[in-house]
Amino acid sequence: MQRLLSFDRAPPLAAPLRFFLTAPLFAALAGILMLAAGPGVLASRWMPAALAATHLITVGFMLQIMTGALIQILPVVAGASLARPLLVARLVHGGLSTGALLLAGAFIFGSGPALVVAAALLASTAVVFVLAAGHALWGVPSTSPTIRGLKLALLGLLGVVLLGGTLALSLAKGWGLNLPRLADLHAGWGLGAWAGVLLVAMAYVVVPMFQLTPAYPARLSWWVPPAVGVPLLVWTGAAVMGSEGVIRLAQAGIALVGMGFATFTLRLQRQRRRARADPTFRYWQGGLWNILAALAMLLFAALRPDLSEWRGWTPLFGILFGLGGFMSLITGMLYKIVPFLAWLHLSNAGQGRISAPSVNKILPEKPLLWQMRAHFGAVALLTAAVLWPEGLVWPAGAAFAVANGWLAVNLFAAARLYRRRMQEITATQES
Amino acid sequence: MSHPKSSCVIDARYLEPPEPFVLTMEALDTLPAGEKLLLLLFREPHPLYRVLKQNGYVHDTELVADGTFEILIWRP
Repeated sequence: MQRLLSFDRAPPLAAPLRFFLTAPLFAALAGILMLAAGPGVLASRWMPAALAATHLITVGFMLQIMTGALIQILPVVAGASLARPLLVARLVHGGLSTGALLLAGAFIFGSGPALVVAAALLASTAVVFVLAAGHALWGVPSTSPTIRGLKLALLGLLGVVLLGGTLALSLAKGWGLNLPRLADLHAGWGLGAWAGVLLVAMAYVVVPMFQLTPAYPARLSWWVPPAVGVPLLVWTGAAVMGSEGVIRLAQAGIALVGMGFATFTLRLQRQRRRARADPTFRYWQGGLWNILAALAMLLFAALRPDLSEWRGWTPLFGILFGLGGFMSLITGMLYKIVPFLAWLHLSNAGQGRISAPSVNKILPEKPLLWQMRAHFGAVALLTAAVLWPEGLVWPAGAAFAVANGWLAVNLFAAARLYRRRMQEITATQES
Repeated sequence: MSHPKSSCVIDARYLEPPEPFVLTMEALDTLPAGEKLLLLLFREPHPLYRVLKQNGYVHDTELVADGTFEILIWRP
């Protein structure tokens, strides 16, 4: 019987690793941009530097890691393999990296043509990814809530792209659309239908697997993704009709579903079988609390719309939800996925004759814990900077850049060790 | 551990990868002819499915209320 894990259809490590190694650099760049732009970056979400920093994080960091991880993980969680994983990885990584930088540049320099080119590049890259992943998932029955969630998330990504493209064209061509309403919807689809549903679908697998918790109950698992998707469709319809009350009702519904999911996950974490709290566990715990705080803001704003008129509402929501929430959960997952994949590929290459280093040796815990403290410190400073931009935006921006530079250093160290060990294995086998 | 579906059960629900895979492979090596192996897991093990297929096994999976995937494995 075949002893090692089956790699016949697993993509090479080079496919996802390129995304994981470059993503932190985009987030670090967002921190440097905050330093350069100063307090104005937190004054309004329409400030060019704020738009640029937001997209360096959402596209350059979040979307990069999510697409990269999916290329690797689709065969494992859904039994769906991409036909040409390395080619898809090269195209998507190149498109997203160039598109994120071009988009940030277009915002900063106020260039309409650059905005349109960036949006076209990002949209076509996202479509390439959705086609590749959709082709792999085509015909795969939705036997688990994870598979159904993945399919819904891909549809969500198409929605984000469509709305983002419309926004870019509207800004560049001066169309008379309701920009704040369209931007809210774009963010709602990005953070809810795409990132949110994807995160939920992945959490069903990775929370019990890596944190040794009980499972999410089956019924709850089936219902969470559509419970996010349906209010988003209602929100979209209401935005077209111009019905402010229905939009707020839909937002309240999404906030409640998200808060329920985060609370339930925190409860699962408390029931874990492993006594020790490792960096992934703590990253998830911190991330979930940030998400709860952000969604509470969304819920209150839906009930009391005047709250969201405060200048700091959008920056604060974005910092808590995107940086404190999503970035924390994503980094927590990376700290498990990268050493596990390296171990898996080294074990396979060694063919049982040369043992692979343990995951703890590939990515030792201590630097991860310190990087995590730097990340949450940066989030706390940024949160405080919303209240006092003039005094705190520089230390907050610097702290955020340092935390993400540190993340890159940790991941590059693991990649270096992996390459060295792989070269040793190849040399041993050749001799 | 016994279960209505089989007397040969691997409860891998609180084990980290690759332990569930290794335990299942070992159990299949010693599984008496005509017997069925039941694997309990909190996720669907797609890589294992492929290995089972390559080695002439079939499986039947059911997701039960508490989120456990019950995977019954046998050689037809």
